[in-house]
Amino acid sequence: MNISHDPNLQALFAQAEQDFQGDSFADDVMRQVDRERRKTLLVWSAVSIFILACVALLATPAFTAARLATELLPVSLVEIETEWLRLLLSPVNSVAAVIALSVLGIRKFFRRIFR
Amino acid sequence: MHYTSDFFAKSPESMLVALARAGQRGAFAELVTRRQTWIRNLMRRCSGDATLADDLSQQVFTQAWRSIRQLHDADRLGPWLKRIAINMWLQHKRTNDPLRGADENNDADSAHNDTTSVAMDLDNALATLSPDQRLCIVLSYHERMTHGEIAEFTSLPLGTIKSHIRRGTLKLQEQLSAYVEPLKEVE
Repeated sequence: MNISHDPNLQALFAQAEQDFQGDSFADDVMRQVDRERRKTLLVWSAVSIFILACVALLATPAFTAARLATELLPVSLVEIETEWLRLLLSPVNSVAAVIALSVLGIRKFFRRIFR
Repeated sequence: MHYTSDFFAKSPESMLVALARAGQRGAFAELVTRRQTWIRNLMRRCSGDATLADDLSQQVFTQAWRSIRQLHDADRLGPWLKRIAINMWLQHKRTNDPLRGADENNDADSAHNDTTSVAMDLDNALATLSPDQRLCIVLSYHERMTHGEIAEFTSLPLGTIKSHIRRGTLKLQEQLSAYVEPLKEVE
């Protein structure tokens, strides 16, 4: 007889099994399914309303910020009279260029420290 | 299309799975009715608490309904449900501290009302095992799973499973000597 598998114990497990009949358990499961569906619907509705409210509230300030940014970013840092030189230096002679270079510099700095 | 409950009762399981996958609640309810005995008994042997076992069984079937579309092979319903049930039990063990479990077991005394004396004695004997030992024993004796299958389901090493089953068997034989003839031969 194999000690890791006792047929008597196996029979005892089978004997201990109860037979569950009827639909009441299935009804409970389906009620739980309905509850979960309602809960999911409620959560999604709340999230949608929150997003819509955020959009409604933040639309005007966001639009203003975007307009200011588009006006501010191309502003030249140094006024250059010569046309060809102004065009040549335009990629670095602007607020946007300063911000971009700052971001790249900070990124490089952090990579050097933390890697 | 509207189906009657009589139609579901007479339908083969593969058809019920296909209908449940298509969103037919009645088909799924019929699957629950057919499979409830197995899952509820499995959970009772795992937990030793009838109320907790029924709650977990309900969660197993709710989870099954949520993910029934992932069941592509209708013939694999049994193993698929078993995996959900075992994962549910393992998750319950992880999220519930032992003290809370002890409280649940105290409350469980009243929940044993509808349990046979054999089942009660078996559950009491199983309660003396460690949680992992108990799970391995239940999967081996109740589910008749091989050591390899248990290893796959529980992610426990094969050697640990063999040891759990060996020690658990000896302990159960000792505890349930009134039911089980002691082993005459030891391999």
